[in-house]
Order: sequence, then structure tokens, then C-alpha cells
Amino acid sequence: MSSQKVSVKRPQRWDAPFASDMTEETVAHLLSVEPFSLMTGDSFPKHAPLPGLLKNDCRIVTYEPGDIVIRQGDYGNSAFLVLDGDLLVTLQDLPKELLGRKKTEKMSWLNCLSQGWKNSRFAESRSRVRATESGTGIRNSGEQTRVFIQDIPGTIHLTQTHALNRGMLFGELAALNRTPRSATVIANTKSILLEMRWQGFRDLMKSDRGLREYVDHLYRKHSLRGHLRQTPELQNLPNENINALAKITRFESYGDFTWNRSFKKQSREDLAQRITMEPVIAEQNQPADDFIMIRNGFVRLSRQYGEGHRTVAYLGKGQTFGLREIAHNWRNDLKRGYTMSLRAVGHVDVLRIPAPEMEQWVLGSITEEQLPEMLAHEEHVPYRPQPERRLVSREQEIDTGLLEFLVEGRFINGTEAMLIDLDRCTRCDDCVRACASTHDNNPRFLRQGPQHENWMIAGACMHCVDPVCMIGCPTGAIARDKTTGNVLINDLTCIGCGVCANSCPYQNIRMVDVRDKKGNPLVDGTTQKPISKATKCDFCAEQSGGPACQRACPHDALFRVDLTTPNPLYQLTQGS
Amino acid sequence: MSESQSNQRQTRQKTTQRNYLWSRRWKGLALSLFAIICIIFVLQILQSSLRNSAWTTGYLLMGCLFFLTAYNWRKKLSFLPRIGASRTWMQFHIYVALVSVAIFVCHVGLNIPNGGLEQLLAILYLVVTASGVYGLYATRTVPKKLTAIKSEVLFEQIPARKLQLVLNARELIKDSARSTDVLSKFYLNQLIYFFERPRSLAYLVSPSLRRSRQLVTEIECLDRYLTESQKPAGRKLASLIRSKEDLDYHWALQGRLKIWTFIHIGFTYSLLLVAILHGVLAHSFGGGLR
Repeated sequence: MSSQKVSVKRPQRWDAPFASDMTEETVAHLLSVEPFSLMTGDSFPKHAPLPGLLKNDCRIVTYEPGDIVIRQGDYGNSAFLVLDGDLLVTLQDLPKELLGRKKTEKMSWLNCLSQGWKNSRFAESRSRVRATESGTGIRNSGEQTRVFIQDIPGTIHLTQTHALNRGMLFGELAALNRTPRSATVIANTKSILLEMRWQGFRDLMKSDRGLREYVDHLYRKHSLRGHLRQTPELQNLPNENINALAKITRFESYGDFTWNRSFKKQSREDLAQRITMEPVIAEQNQPADDFIMIRNGFVRLSRQYGEGHRTVAYLGKGQTFGLREIAHNWRNDLKRGYTMSLRAVGHVDVLRIPAPEMEQWVLGSITEEQLPEMLAHEEHVPYRPQPERRLVSREQEIDTGLLEFLVEGRFINGTEAMLIDLDRCTRCDDCVRACASTHDNNPRFLRQGPQHENWMIAGACMHCVDPVCMIGCPTGAIARDKTTGNVLINDLTCIGCGVCANSCPYQNIRMVDVRDKKGNPLVDGTTQKPISKATKCDFCAEQSGGPACQRACPHDALFRVDLTTPNPLYQLTQGS
Repeated sequence: MSESQSNQRQTRQKTTQRNYLWSRRWKGLALSLFAIICIIFVLQILQSSLRNSAWTTGYLLMGCLFFLTAYNWRKKLSFLPRIGASRTWMQFHIYVALVSVAIFVCHVGLNIPNGGLEQLLAILYLVVTASGVYGLYATRTVPKKLTAIKSEVLFEQIPARKLQLVLNARELIKDSARSTDVLSKFYLNQLIYFFERPRSLAYLVSPSLRRSRQLVTEIECLDRYLTESQKPAGRKLASLIRSKEDLDYHWALQGRLKIWTFIHIGFTYSLLLVAILHGVLAHSFGGGLR
């Protein structure tokens, strides 16, 4: 192998701008418009100047009257600024078909039975490939597709809407917090919007105090108190304490927002190196300055072991870190640092409350019994999960190798991961046949996947906590079911653009070319290109008996498991 | 997921999987034993009242047979809800089969039946039972052997994967033949049989790693005759041999599990047909129900 060095240009942040058509003139125009005209260029760092952010992290998008800009329940990574036009925020829940969602109704027993003779002999055959009479239409194609409501006054009660006009900002909290959009926004007139991708918006906030305070005010007003109240350690506090904590709570984000793109590359690195590459939220033995609450994403709890770090557990949304150390220090003169390191796995949002405020507003207000137990005198105290809590880990109960396999592969994202015990699986494929028989003879998963010892995570949609596949769907065809929380694709509104399949980090969404009921390939009348659809496991949403794969396994080898918490996994793997 | 299923799942997860499986096994055995004792007790009563218990045991056996065959129908109707999970059916299948053995002994006795049809029926029953027992053993032991092989492969993909290995091996040999013919001669004399011919029946019955280990050792011995540029090819060839061995191993063991099912189900339907015929003849010539 040659060892000669090759000089290349180092990759830069803005090598791939958000839009290629942002010109200097457009940026100059934007700089003359509020709120950018009120921002001072001096407050921006050299590596991320305001014109640069506008040119590379923003794009101008035009919506025609009736176009849906964002849908309630969608995930997105952009905030929008209205440059021109009027938009409507709907305060009512719009019908599923209007949002392009799948209607999930359980099949009757007779309908289930009829699958025995109605299932198609041909792979991926469809009787219909697009929605009809949904009250919507489609403009453009590919990722630029716009779904529009044909008759706004006839569909939406205008009394239940809120108007958005020039200069107003929307969509920022969902983009920053990685939470579903809370409302649907529709263009009422021809509207010109500035779409700001998350990274750029974050930098704008960092450098401009006015914008930061505005978004911070919105967050504290709408969401923060609720988040604090949901935290078990704080839920019994009086209102005045919560209000005091809300004033000093800091919101921080770690890791890559688009982790699904980078993690495949990182997985080729050595494990020890990968752990060190993860952003550190709190470091072992450093002063325990903050109480940390996980708002979104997953964190790895690790402890120094020899020259490396050993994974002890993982924490997710709603879990906290640091209370034991803060409580210990409050009761002892001998101060202790964090007993473990906390590292961001993918993208993580955390809330931080400084230790003095915790002592003043929390520790002083709870009883002795509610206080966490004291830390042991030894340097390496064992991690003791608090009982009756989600996402508690059990050190020495789940094999460290398995734990690291799940964290490294980001399988901890799955709420319904398909776990196969290969020591019991006879490879009979009854699960695959059962899946096919409930999906018109098309299996919706692959009985293959990454393995750790006798455990295999098969290639079935895991219905993730952080469904990155839902980001960017132009028609809203892929969405989370409100009742079950499962991620479903509406076949009729899927336009086959492949955004979801490309985003899924586990390759569990497959694009298929569809046929008619006679087995003839369906092609676009204009371009003659095949009609494609995104397909994946729907957790047998329409079947009455739950997932057919699990019901069909005769040997107790296949399980649909919530891996966001290690407890079910512990039940399965202990002693196996 | 329905609420009841969710509750079931939570209940199951309160105990660990291992404890659950053990407790299920003991419960199944205890229930089967209890059923056998009850049946023997009822038969004793019938015999003490001078009734012919053969009709009772015959009908019980026929019922068991239909129930056991119904598991195959359940597998084909997996799109139907509320017909029970396959694992539950499997447990009933095992323990009802166990009970049926006791009923069979009560029905036939420990003698060889004297009629031709009855002998055929008894043989079919024994074949199905024996294949079932073997199946139970195989489904509990073979998966562990397969898991011990690092590479997991779908049975249907094995022929294509084998072909790819052959092509890779040939390519390697062609490239290495440019310097010396050591590897190509070895391929023609030894490896061609290993790579390009199906494995023997003996291997399918009892697969072992002996042959591949032998070949890898021989390649390692050839190393000193190879040029520096050929040595990586030798190592690659050894790796291809190991991959081929893994595929053959999977082929033999996964194939065994499939053939076993094929035999078990095939004989089950033959048994069912002959049993029905036996029942009809018994009613026709046995003087009716007593």
C-alpha cells in the first residue's frame, strides 16, 4: 500500500449550502428586512457571519394559496420566517386524509379471513396508487412536492385559525426541540417564506441576543414548565419553586442533528475512538455543577475503565442525571464530582439546573426519604437505578457487550424492534410467511440483520422514538399514529420520492416498484418511469391480533421489544 | 396492539424468559401426566364394567390426531386473528402428542397389531411420533449449532453465495497462475471437489469441519512454495474455504430442519387418512358403538 500523502481541500461547513440559488442580491435584500436589519454583524463570529448564514443555511420558498407548509405531527428541522403573504395556523385537528395520513381501522374477522383468497399472486400489486377525493391536490414533484387544500373555507373553520403575517416566525420550537409540529400551517395567499435549517437558526440565535431571547421566551412560556413538571424529581414541588427553576433552567443541544447520516460512517471506527468522539455532556470526576434532564435523544453513561470508557447504561427522554451527586454534596463537606460520564449518542437536548438552585428550590423542599441515597466512599460507586422509572438500566444484569451493541447500532431508538433469539430460531420462516399473508403476500421485513452473540436485530421497522425517516416527507405520507405511536406510511399519498428510505439509518424502509392487480408494472404516464412506493413494517396496524410475525413464531424466538428501556431486554436475556 | 395483549406481554415480562420457559415446561408435563392418569382411570372403570374401551381410546386418538394436524392448518391461517399464538399451539402440540402415546398404548397394547391395515396404521403412527420426537430434539439443538457459526445466511441464498465463492476462487487462481502453478494445481487436484461439487450424503447427515480444516492446513503447508505476491492469495483461498464450509454447514443443518418438517407433515396426513379408513372399517364391521 502506498504511503504517499495526497493533499485535498478540507471539507467545510458550507460546502453543501441549503439552497444553491441564494444569490448575493437575495442576501442583501434579506439583510434589509426585519429581524435581520436589526441584527448587528459584529455580534456574529468570523466563521459564521450573518450573510454567510443567510446564504448557506437558508432558502426562499414560495407557497401558492392552499399549500400546506407544515403539518401537525410532522417532524422537521427548519424554522420559517414570513417574508410576504398570509398564512393560517389551524387550531383544530384536521382530518387524517387531509394531512395525507393513513386511516388505521382494525379489520373485521371476516375481512381477515378473506385475505386467504384475496391476497395477490403478484408482488407489490395495487388496485389504487393515489388518493382520490381527499380534498387535496399535488403540485410539483420529488422533494419539491406541495400538497394543497383545494377549498380552504370549505375545509377549515376560519374561526379556529390564527393568522401569520409578514415578519412572523414559526416552526422554531419543533425544529430546535426535535418534537412533532404542534399545528398545521397553510398558505392563505401566495406566500414567500425564508426557511432556515436548524444549524443556521441555532447560530443566529447564538449570536443575536434579540432572537435568542425571543425564542427563549417562547420556550419558557409554552413548554418549559411542563417539562419540569414531568420530571419525577420535581413533580411534587410547589408552583413557586417550579417558576423559580424555570427562570434559571438552561437549554442545551449536543451532537449532530442529522446523526442518521453520519453514524454509518462512524460505525467503521474503533469503538474506543467512537466513544471519545461523542460530545461530552458531563464528565466523570468533574464538579457536579448541574442537574441534567434529558429532553430528547439518548445519552451513554460510561465509566473510565483502564484506558477506555465502558458503557454502564443508556438514558433517554425524561431521565435525569446528577441528583445523587448534588444531594451528596449538599449533605457532606467532602464534595464529589460526577461518578460517570454522560455522552450524547446522536442528537441530544438537555435541560440544566445549576446545583445551588437545586439545593435551594428542590433539596430543601423534599423529605429525607425522597432524597437519593448517599454515594459510597469508594471511588467507583455502582450505578443504582431508581426503581419504578422508565429507562432504568441494570448494571451487571445486561451483558456490557450487548448494551454496547445496542448503543453503537442506535437500536436503543426502537420502541418495537424485532429481536430474534438465534439459539431458539429454527429458521423456519413462519414469521416471514405470516407477515406476507397479512400484507397482500408481501413480507415487510428481512429476517437478517446485525447480530450480537445469539441476538439478532432483524430488518424490521423499529418504530423509533426519534423517527428521522419522518423528516422531509413532502406529502406527510409517513407519520406517527396518534393512538399507538407506531410510524405508518400511507401508501396512497406516498409519491415514491425515497426521502424516508434514505433517511432511515437502519435501512428498514424499502422502495418497491408497484404493479396492477394483473401483475403489470405501473409506470408514470408522462415520464414512463416506474411508480415506486415506500414500504416497511406497519406493526400489523390493521390486523386485530397484533404483529403476525410474533404470533407466528412457534419457538419463542421472535420478540417485538421496546429497546428504549433495557428492562424488557433484561427479562429476555437474563440467563440465556 | 390490543390492551389484553399488552397486559399479557407485561405479565410475561415480569418473570424472566428463562423462568417462564421452565415453568411452562413443568406445567405442561404435570398437566399431561394428570391427563394420562385420568384417561387410565376412566378406562379402568370402563373395563371393570365389562365395556369395550377400544372405542373410547380410538375416538380419543382420532381427536388427538385431528388436533395435532390442526397445528399445520393454523400455520397456514396466520392472517386470522384470535386463533392463538403459534407458540401456544406448539406447546399443546407437544403435550397432546405425549398424551396420545399413552392412549395409543392403551388402544393397541404392547403387541403388534394383527391386521395389515392396523399394522400400517401402527407403523405410520410410530413414524410420525418418532419424527416428532426427533423434531423436538432438533429444534432445540440445531439452532445453537447454527448460531455458533459466525455468519448467518438465509437458506434460499446459499446456492447463490456458494456460486459467488466458486467464482471468487477461480478468479484468485487465475491471477495467481501468472507467477507459479502451485495454487492452480492444488485447486485442480483438491479444491475443485470441495468448491464445485455437492457435499456427500454423509456430510449432510453429520456435518463436520474436518475436511475444510484439512484443506486449510494443506494450503498453509504450501505457503513456503509460493512467491511473496502469491502468499496473500493463499490466505484468501483459505478464507474462502472457511466461508464455503460455513455455507455447507448451514445448508446441511437448515436443510435437516426443513426435511424433518417435510417428513413429519407428509406422514401425518397419510396417518390421518389411514386412521379415518380404520375408523370407518371398525364401525362397518365392528358391530357399531357399544
